[in-house]
Amino acid sequence: MIENMKMAIASLRANKMRSFLTMLGIIIGIGSVIAITSIGDTMRKMFSDVYKDIGVTQSYLYIGYWVEDTRDSDWFTMDDFETYKEVFGDRLQYIDASNMASVDVQTEITQKKFDIYGVDYNYIDVQPVDIVYGRYLNESDIKGRKPNCVMEASAAAEIFGTENAVGKTIRVPINGNITDLNIIGIFKKEVSPFQKMMMGNTGRGEAYIPWTLMNSPDDLIYNCRYFANINMDEAELKQFNAEFKAYVEKQKGRNPGDYFLNSAQEQMGQMDTMLGGISAAVGGIAAISLLVGGIGIMNIMLVSVTERTREIGIRKALGARTKDIMIQFLTESAVLSAIGGTIGILLAIGVLYIAGKIFSLPIVVKPQIVLLAVGFSALVGIFFGIFPAKKAAEKDPIVALRYE
Amino acid sequence: MDEIIRLENLVKIYDTGAVKVLGLNKINLSIKKGEFVAIMGHSGSGKSTLMNILGCLDKPSLGNYYLDGKNVAVLEGDELSEIRNKKIGFVFQSFNLISRMSIEKNVEVPLIYARVKASERKKKAMELLELVGLGNRTEHQPNELSGGQRQRVAIARALANDPPLILADEPTGNLDSRASIEIMEMFAKLHQRGVTVVVVTHEENIANYTHRIITFSDGVIKDDRINENPTPISEDASGLMYRMS
Repeated sequence: MIENMKMAIASLRANKMRSFLTMLGIIIGIGSVIAITSIGDTMRKMFSDVYKDIGVTQSYLYIGYWVEDTRDSDWFTMDDFETYKEVFGDRLQYIDASNMASVDVQTEITQKKFDIYGVDYNYIDVQPVDIVYGRYLNESDIKGRKPNCVMEASAAAEIFGTENAVGKTIRVPINGNITDLNIIGIFKKEVSPFQKMMMGNTGRGEAYIPWTLMNSPDDLIYNCRYFANINMDEAELKQFNAEFKAYVEKQKGRNPGDYFLNSAQEQMGQMDTMLGGISAAVGGIAAISLLVGGIGIMNIMLVSVTERTREIGIRKALGARTKDIMIQFLTESAVLSAIGGTIGILLAIGVLYIAGKIFSLPIVVKPQIVLLAVGFSALVGIFFGIFPAKKAAEKDPIVALRYE
Repeated sequence: MDEIIRLENLVKIYDTGAVKVLGLNKINLSIKKGEFVAIMGHSGSGKSTLMNILGCLDKPSLGNYYLDGKNVAVLEGDELSEIRNKKIGFVFQSFNLISRMSIEKNVEVPLIYARVKASERKKKAMELLELVGLGNRTEHQPNELSGGQRQRVAIARALANDPPLILADEPTGNLDSRASIEIMEMFAKLHQRGVTVVVVTHEENIANYTHRIITFSDGVIKDDRINENPTPISEDASGLMYRMS
């Protein structure tokens, strides 16, 4: 076998230009399949990373828009949330009313639009940020409906001239009342460039206040936003979401299917499936060029066999069996396409690497795909080499020896 | 069994579709081990047909061919390949070396098909090239050698598996007179060593090196005589098997 491969390589080297041109089809075919599937995998990873940042276990739950006879009791109360926390314990890691206010903040220095979010004291557990000055909201802030707020560092710097704005106040309308919010902490948040691109740079400042401030205790809550335990795996999460929804539907005296669960997990799954489908389809189209490459190999091997008719006759005269000739030529075409495949892979990886550096994207190349590609290209070589190899092996030695 | 070749009522018919041609007509022939034989005849006499059958490249239509005691007339494809590999050493008129391959690798080819290990193959090939006086040019390719040198490589290759029979088809046809002498003397030396050598030729002075001359005509043996005075070989011929004992 080794001997065969050595002979095959020697034969290919003897005619470098022809070998290269023949390989081109395979190089392009494998190269494009690798590049496309890697781009697809990269995009899927980027999206899944975004979802990780947002919080994969995050979901929204509310009465379905298709339900015609909605009642007040379909909505939530703060007591409901307490009940859910008791019932589900650790599995329900966080819950709030998903309140947000877009306000104008005026300071001595300047004016800036802010998005102010109402959160619970443990929001930092599910959406981690770095507290650089002061502290985060605590339980007492929430229970006491205190007008305290944590602000994002760059926004604070913009309106106060310094990141350390702890102790300063901003005056904004909250829940219909003009409120003076005390800044008790400053945070910094890491956002990946891709996420920035996806979520858009609104240019608005970010701040958190107790969610109990944005709702009056007897208000109806229209949105239930929760995080399941962030350490859950896919299956556990799916299970929990189903259970939670079923519980709420039952608790509210509604039929299964009346409530709408909008989960990040599901969205991510859909996005992933769609991207996967697209890259598979395009990859499949790219694989067609592999077919063309294989045909090219078959063509050249046929020419090669004819050119070497004499040599085949000589070898047979010296004792080569049909099998020996067959294996000799099959090895050549397999080696040809394996080398072509390898070059294609290296080319694809090279291009992807450079593109990744230029666009600062995390390029993903799965080793399984690479191995699959090399194996597949060898198979292409063998498959398209069978016909020429057979023709070679079946040559009559006397006739072959007379060939000019 | 001291017979290397035995033909019994050998017939070869060529079927060209419209016409059937009788290539060989009931040939009976016996060649013993260690003989040095020339097969002569004009083109169309049947000598080439006989050569192909003796070389197991073609099968007879009728009759038996015992090669070294085994009836090879009944063998097929791959079995014949094995016989060719082990029992017969070919030397062709047009050398038939594989180009773009060193002469050392060329000599190895029969050894490869005999499934000999790589290290042993190389050793044997080098020895044989040394024997024919090309030990210093083993990495050269055939196109870098003269006709006579190429034929010497072919002889080395023919000897690779120590076959009992050497078959040479017009071995000097593409050589000048000096190289022709060189090659025929090499065959003569091989014969001295005990190898059976059968040379097909249409040239009398080539046939004269041998000890028995069989003449074909129209598909039958016209003459079969002992050559009383074979051409003598020079003792000090350079580049010729001077390692032979």
